Amino acid sequence: MQQRGLGIVLATVILTALVPAREIRAASHQSESHPQAQESGRSQVHLPIADFSLTDQTGRPFRFQELRGKVVLVTFIYTTCSDVCPLLTSRMVLVQRDLKGTERSSVYLLGITTDPEIDRPQILKSYAGRYGVDFSNWSFLTGSPGELAPVWKSFRVQVQRKARGLVNHTPLTALLDKAGIMRFAYFGTSPDHRSMLRDLRSLLPSS
Amino acid sequence: MVLRIFALAALLSLQFACSRNQEMKTLYAERCLACHGASGRGDGPIASSLPVPVPDFRLTVERKSVRAIRKVIVDGKGIMPAYGPALSRLEVQDMIRAVRVVSEEGRPVEWWEKIGPLLYAHCSLPWQFGDDEEEPQRGAGP
Repeated sequence: MQQRGLGIVLATVILTALVPAREIRAASHQSESHPQAQESGRSQVHLPIADFSLTDQTGRPFRFQELRGKVVLVTFIYTTCSDVCPLLTSRMVLVQRDLKGTERSSVYLLGITTDPEIDRPQILKSYAGRYGVDFSNWSFLTGSPGELAPVWKSFRVQVQRKARGLVNHTPLTALLDKAGIMRFAYFGTSPDHRSMLRDLRSLLPSS
Repeated sequence: MVLRIFALAALLSLQFACSRNQEMKTLYAERCLACHGASGRGDGPIASSLPVPVPDFRLTVERKSVRAIRKVIVDGKGIMPAYGPALSRLEVQDMIRAVRVVSEEGRPVEWWEKIGPLLYAHCSLPWQFGDDEEEPQRGAGP
């Protein structure tokens, strides 16, 4: 009798183990929660950004006001994001790579996390390293939720935590002039890096 | 008698692991699908916009040990996120199983082939049958 019971359990286990292959594909096909890569909406704005202090990928304090005099390209990402953020960071990498030597000293890039729960400095550093980021004019910033919330608000970025390591946030890339005023906003998952470069150059002194 | 009780307990534990199908499906949909696609072929909705090609699970996962898959999930690879800080151990195991399951599409898989990875992923066995060699690095794709 016990052997029969054991056999039934064993059969159930084996059957259960074999079932999910079909199930996962069916469930995945039904999922519509992921955004498609979309061209970004570009708009000209005039939004002064309040000064803030956060922590960079090395653990050192970072003061936004020290970027005065530079054109700044900012995006909002988190490291365990699997859809929007890889696209945003990839576009920023293209912008950085296409900057001319003379432009590099006048332009700074920022990646600001939307998930301080996970994104400690070392994690941001590893994330940036996997994209081949050149840290000479690009910093990744984090902080406590209390420090980050006003920054998100200043940029009009909405952040909503869904679960650990899973965050909904406004897919914004913003271009700021030398006075720290947001002049261009790119909403969407795939901002055109050539368009961003063109706008960026329009804010540089030689233009 | 003791042996039977032990065997029954082991089977019930495995039954618990197998019952996490919903968690596995949700994890795959939330964390993998955008790039790797529903069938794991690297054809997710954002794949074509990424700067590197997304690997086809049917070509890569099959050749990887569970340990190697776990390392990629936890530490990330190329632009693929490092999920270690975000997922529990159980969730990582669910994700391993999910990519294993998806990678089996389109190739003949004998029923006993499914049991080994399942046991290894969910029972944290200190060994694994078969080759445990790392696949050579090929680009920085996820």
